[in-house]
Amino acid sequence: MMPGKVLNSNVAQPLVTILFFLLLVGLAALIGLARQPRQYRTDPPVAAALNQLRLMPGGIGGAPPEIYFALDRPYETSAYDLSQGKRLYSWFGCASCHGDGRGGAGPSLLDGWWLYGPSVVAIAASIRDGRPRGMPAFGSRMTTDQIWQLAGYVKTIGAYSASLAAPSRNDDKHTRPAENRAPAAILFNEAPPVPPRSDQGPSP
Amino acid sequence: MTEDRKQSPLMDDRLDDAELERHLLQSWQTPGGIWKALATVDHKTIARRYIVTAFVFLILGGLLAVAMRIQLAQPEARILDPDRYNQIFTMHGSTMMFLFAVPVMEAMAIYLVPLMVGTRNIAFPRLNAFSYWIILAGGLLLWISFALDAAPDVGWFAYVPLSGPEYGSGKRADIWAQMITFTELSALAVAVEIVVTVFKQRAPGMSLDRIPLLVWSMLVMAFIVIMAMPAIMFASSTLILDRLVETQFYNPAAGGDALLWQHVFWFFGHPEVYIIFLPAAGMVSTIVATFSRRAIFGYLPLVMAFIATGILAFGLWVHHMFVVGLPRLGESFFTASSMAIAVPAGIQVFCWLATLWLGRPVFATPLLFVIGFIVTFVIGGLTGVMVASVPFDTQVHDTYFVVAHFHYVLVGGAVFPLLGAIYYWFPKMTGRMMSERLGRWAFGLIFLGFNLTFFPMHILGLLGMPRRVYTYQPDLPWGGLNLFISLSALLLVSGFLVFFIDVLRAWRSGLPAGPNPWKAATLEWATSSPPPAYNFRRIPVVDACDPLWMHPEELAVTAGLRVDRRELIVSSVVEALPEARESSPRDSIWPFWAAIATSIMLIGSIFTPWAVVWGAIPVAVTLIGWFWPKGTAEDAS
Repeated sequence: MMPGKVLNSNVAQPLVTILFFLLLVGLAALIGLARQPRQYRTDPPVAAALNQLRLMPGGIGGAPPEIYFALDRPYETSAYDLSQGKRLYSWFGCASCHGDGRGGAGPSLLDGWWLYGPSVVAIAASIRDGRPRGMPAFGSRMTTDQIWQLAGYVKTIGAYSASLAAPSRNDDKHTRPAENRAPAAILFNEAPPVPPRSDQGPSP
Repeated sequence: MTEDRKQSPLMDDRLDDAELERHLLQSWQTPGGIWKALATVDHKTIARRYIVTAFVFLILGGLLAVAMRIQLAQPEARILDPDRYNQIFTMHGSTMMFLFAVPVMEAMAIYLVPLMVGTRNIAFPRLNAFSYWIILAGGLLLWISFALDAAPDVGWFAYVPLSGPEYGSGKRADIWAQMITFTELSALAVAVEIVVTVFKQRAPGMSLDRIPLLVWSMLVMAFIVIMAMPAIMFASSTLILDRLVETQFYNPAAGGDALLWQHVFWFFGHPEVYIIFLPAAGMVSTIVATFSRRAIFGYLPLVMAFIATGILAFGLWVHHMFVVGLPRLGESFFTASSMAIAVPAGIQVFCWLATLWLGRPVFATPLLFVIGFIVTFVIGGLTGVMVASVPFDTQVHDTYFVVAHFHYVLVGGAVFPLLGAIYYWFPKMTGRMMSERLGRWAFGLIFLGFNLTFFPMHILGLLGMPRRVYTYQPDLPWGGLNLFISLSALLLVSGFLVFFIDVLRAWRSGLPAGPNPWKAATLEWATSSPPPAYNFRRIPVVDACDPLWMHPEELAVTAGLRVDRRELIVSSVVEALPEARESSPRDSIWPFWAAIATSIMLIGSIFTPWAVVWGAIPVAVTLIGWFWPKGTAEDAS
């Protein structure tokens, strides 16, 4: 009879299990640290840098600021930012002109035709500074963070292919397929793309 | 029943004690080795794992609380960002409720109920093993997601639409909902085992009026689990369906109802409080009787109070929802029912006080924790009656007053008795005594630390501090109290530190306990500490509420069980007359594989609905393996 030894194994077994458990959590934490954090408020210097949009002459197309790539293009790849953008889309009344994305008083966002180019920086510039013929400027009403979130979302509305990150559905009536089902492509199958109209702006 | 075979099996009535023990050990013991350890179905081993796991989650949840207190110690602190803070308070609540409080109470039932009713294993022991692996997987799911920075951030009750598809982006709320599925699955499994063990496996003579109070409380708890958990199963499943496959249960625009979530959640959530509290009440009743050196005062009123609590528990969930704008009549009804629950609670408290009053109390550590429980629980009960009234609740809803209230009832009502119970049953579980001196220190620090931490929160709440804020501005009048609370929390933490040091020290090198160190009256003390794999050499016969006090020298026992296979007595529900000899399943690795397959299916379903379809195949395979006849002696009858 070796009570000491028996009891020691009694202690050791749960301890080994606990260590194993903590090791798993620790490994996951390493991966977690590498993941992109969800930020509710962007640091002011980062926001200022994000505001430096580099546009081509005429405001058509351009390149995002360097920091956008340093941040790993968060506004196009994180479901959280896309969802925020989707909410901003309704909160700031985008639907009153652009409808559910199919357009109305304003141009359609999912017909594959971007008047100022399909890059996210052009969309952000449109939101921030406005465009001729009715697009108002939101730069004074939205934070830089919100502008980028909205731009990222607007880009997914007309995406040609499904992306891994997608906003989820809103608790509303649905008039069109979910964004993560590559709605643009689906809608194109139903009808040919709307041809560019000269009254919508300069032709490319 | 008694069959005449050519070769009659080995029965226990023709063996002497030493020979009998040898044969029983051979039938019941789990051999060494890791695979054998994973296959064990011994209720004591599984309960020990459950308890250790639950306490690990208690430590983790407690560390999260410390993190929150550090963040809130000063205004505008920058230690945690808001997103992390949201994850942390959600993790704290979910861990404490679903991974600590409920499992640890069930674990105590798994350990103690079979011993207290005098049987050799819990009913459905393989299901029991399965339930442990399931809750472990659920805990790993939640905590690994937290480490991955993808933990739920929607609060422990995950109200829609915050947790719904529109606002709950990412996989966070899905992980919460599936974690709930794991815990409810395991809780339901354990509840069924407890009910069957209590109703059908009691020692001969243990009629309903001789069942120990702890067993009564566990029985009522099990019934609450069976009735309440389906509600949360509905809730978590529909939430994940809304999020994953575009159902519209909680979408008002499509005919769903966001308020439905609150109803189904609290229809489970309020009974949940009693799932946690009733076992604690049973522990208190046991400890009070043992250390007062007399039978419990008011056995029948206590049992009736347990049952009344269990029934009333289902009639007051709406008091969590007073500010959503209910009809007046509904508010009045649920105010009345919420106040009515004070009646059975009061009966219990008065019975315990009367027992102490009439007895000769020995103020050992377990009793100290019980007295700490009575004080804190009464304070929590009083604020409970306060928030039961709609006008008052409207003022303090979602403030720190509510935080103070539910910590008083949950920590006061469940953790204090639980710590007392650990001090009380630790000698039975390990064969070693915990230190009385460290125990007194632990109690003093925890009691003082707890009250200094949570009492000021009442005042903070009345001053208007809302719960779940990650910081507050310096010009608000909350800074001083928050700093005081955070410092007091360190006292509370040091108390728990002393407790855990004592546990580890006693486990390794505590004094030997002997079978009955407290001179207690219930059957678990009739066997050695720790009990052998077969629990009792011979199944006792019970003729009193307090068998070991009635017969301190010698217990009457039964004979006539086979010892060449696992066998136990099945008895009648009311009078516990022996009805049959029943085989008890052998060890099996299949519950482990079934739990792994189930976990893969459930976690996979977070990502794609097809996981339910393809994941069902391994589950089916493991279940077939589980139930396939193995040709052992246990399969015979």
